[in-house]
Amino acid sequence: MSERPLTRLVLEKPCCDADLPGVDEGHARVALVGNPNVGKSTLFNVLTGARQRVGNWPGKTVSVARGTWRTPAGEMTLIDLPGTYSLLPDSPDEALTRDLLVDRGMDDRPDVVVLTLDCSNLARNLYLLAQVMETGVPIVVALTMVDIAESRGIRVDVGRFAELIGAPVVPVVPRQNRGLDALRDAVEGALAARRPPGEPDLGEDVEAVLAEVTAFLPADALLRYPERWLATALLTGETVPGVPDETGARARAAGAGLLAGDDTDDLDDLDDLEIVVAEQRYAWAHRLIAETVHRKGDVRATVSDRVDRALTSRWAGLPIFFLVMWGVFILTTKIAAPLQTGLQDLIDGPVSTGAAHALRGMSAPAWLSGLVLNGIIAGVGQLLSFVPLMAIMFVLLSVLEDSGYMARAAFVVDRLMRLIGLPGRAFLPLVVGFGCNVPALAGTRILSDRRHRLLTGLLIPFVSCSARLTVYVLVAGVFFGSQAGTVVFAMYVLSIVLVVGMGLLLRGTLFRGMSYEPLVLDLPPYRLPTLRVIGTQTWQKLWAFLRTASGLIVATVTAVWLLASVPAGGGQGGFGRTPIEHSLFGSTARVVAPAFEPAGFGDWHPSAALITGFVAKEAVVSTVAQTYSMGKPADEHRAGSLGPALRQTFERTSHGHKIPAVLAFMVFLLAYTPCMTTVAAQRAELGGRMTLFGIGMQLVVAWLLAVAVFQIGAMFL
Amino acid sequence: MTLRGCAVGSRLEVCRVTGGRRHRRRLIELGFVRGAVLSVIGRGTMGGLVLALGDSRIAVDSFTAETLLVKPAHV
Repeated sequence: MSERPLTRLVLEKPCCDADLPGVDEGHARVALVGNPNVGKSTLFNVLTGARQRVGNWPGKTVSVARGTWRTPAGEMTLIDLPGTYSLLPDSPDEALTRDLLVDRGMDDRPDVVVLTLDCSNLARNLYLLAQVMETGVPIVVALTMVDIAESRGIRVDVGRFAELIGAPVVPVVPRQNRGLDALRDAVEGALAARRPPGEPDLGEDVEAVLAEVTAFLPADALLRYPERWLATALLTGETVPGVPDETGARARAAGAGLLAGDDTDDLDDLDDLEIVVAEQRYAWAHRLIAETVHRKGDVRATVSDRVDRALTSRWAGLPIFFLVMWGVFILTTKIAAPLQTGLQDLIDGPVSTGAAHALRGMSAPAWLSGLVLNGIIAGVGQLLSFVPLMAIMFVLLSVLEDSGYMARAAFVVDRLMRLIGLPGRAFLPLVVGFGCNVPALAGTRILSDRRHRLLTGLLIPFVSCSARLTVYVLVAGVFFGSQAGTVVFAMYVLSIVLVVGMGLLLRGTLFRGMSYEPLVLDLPPYRLPTLRVIGTQTWQKLWAFLRTASGLIVATVTAVWLLASVPAGGGQGGFGRTPIEHSLFGSTARVVAPAFEPAGFGDWHPSAALITGFVAKEAVVSTVAQTYSMGKPADEHRAGSLGPALRQTFERTSHGHKIPAVLAFMVFLLAYTPCMTTVAAQRAELGGRMTLFGIGMQLVVAWLLAVAVFQIGAMFL
Repeated sequence: MTLRGCAVGSRLEVCRVTGGRRHRRRLIELGFVRGAVLSVIGRGTMGGLVLALGDSRIAVDSFTAETLLVKPAHV
């Protein structure tokens, strides 16, 4: 091992940002940077509490949480940047972190970076530290997972560590509030001093080349980027905006000697310069570890490893995985159902009655009580009834993610999901979709790649949710008698076929560029999730959902009520007293009906059901009943007098082929927009444009399938 | 040899990472550099492997295993 110093301390250098424009006089900005799964977000949540908001970084598609960190000395803005293994940008997330650290042209750059390093897995974390040190940004190191490291006999000499990197180092255990005051002091100290950390030594040969490259760096680029980072980036072949290509080529040419000096013939391409530099960073990391880390004994097989032997094994892996998914499915359906019904009953019962009473007391006009009762209260009721479901989903997501099982699950089903071009993790949201599409969409957040999230989010509505089941059961009962069960089962099979088929179709068209990404997955050690972490995460996600979804849902429910209350074209009765058949809703259904003629159900009754089905599938049965001027059947699974009426309608519209017509109706119901809440959730997760595309795609698919089912079916039945 | 055929329990030294630039970069970031010693601690479905690399536990599929050139470690 060489006698070279580990880092070159650069105390005399003035710090980069002090006199540059773009640094406002407001709160100091502190950014959290670190590998994924090192407890960075836990630290963020503990430091900011409820004072935080999550949103896209201005002009980027990267979601970043920002919060306020209150200290006795004042307030700081804390930015939780996406977890990353390096500053080489391969994804928009990583590019944002890199740009904020190196590009002085960026707004809202951090004044200090808190680098969270997982103490139980230092080598890989130090690799990132080396890169961040090269940017010259003042840093404070927060050592996390100290408890896990200790349990494995790993002890870090914190003082020596700080000395060697030229920056403060603070061990923290955020879950127990340990080390947080020391961290605060260190950050405040770093803010006051604005001192860059040391520069990691990359070995004699690389350092010589870096010195050579530094000599010809263009002066204007040095105003924008830190010198050492720029030299390293150009040497390793990165394209840096604002730096001419020739400079990059010259830097790489200067590095050619590093490859020639290699004694094996493994490295020959100039692309391999990146490897040479990476190896030197790792060599630096291992030298640093040798100086600061003491290991007691050699703990080879940890408890985690023993658990993994079962959970990821060839034989037990998949069965255990399906068992866990089944558990998630049961919890999001069976446990949530009574809560959901309870809330709905509360709204429909006491709340509505109370409000109606109050409105009568104020002798409110009919339109006002209609608006309040059937519009706003009904809409809020629908939204609230989803809250238990969403909360359960978010808790389960947190538990699976925090415990470390999610990473194993992704490994176990990876091959299966590759069939439709999605990584293993996408399995969970799709399974949850059978219960309800809304939490399933929220579940797409476990996917780190935006394109994977979009594709999964577009496929989820094809998963047949439990609300659709109520309609299948009623309709199949009316038309298929003892065969009803088989027909309902067939709908589920079709749902899976649709997901796979549409997945293949979208992957071959819109998502064509989605290359095969080999699986390389870090498995974090198993941990017991803490209530505090789960609670905060659940609350944040739930609140975000309520904020984005509420307006859309209440507005749609109100709109349907309005349409059903307004008499069409001078029909009988006044506002709110007209029979549904003669309302605007009825006439809208009549306008839509001809579109379904080729599918064999071109009549206003089924069309009206499909229109309310757009708002909520739960309302389909009662709408059908309403259109025949009957009450909602007491038992949804028994159609009562609704049966003959329905049979008659389909018999007429299908010209005697009522079986294929009713199958076409069910297929349409399966494939088109599940409900308004799903649309709202899609908008929250995928954005407005993709949501509109999704709605359009589903309507087209649903219509084509329905027409195909009827036309082909009518030849035989 | 590549990592693909290696048995559970074997200790190996990384000689070279092949494959596309992005793929290589991801592996290097996780610590698969020349000279690094890893051991195979588990085998999943369809040729997937669970590896121990220093203190990290990393799962790879058979494609990735194929891109890792290794030799038996002497330690």
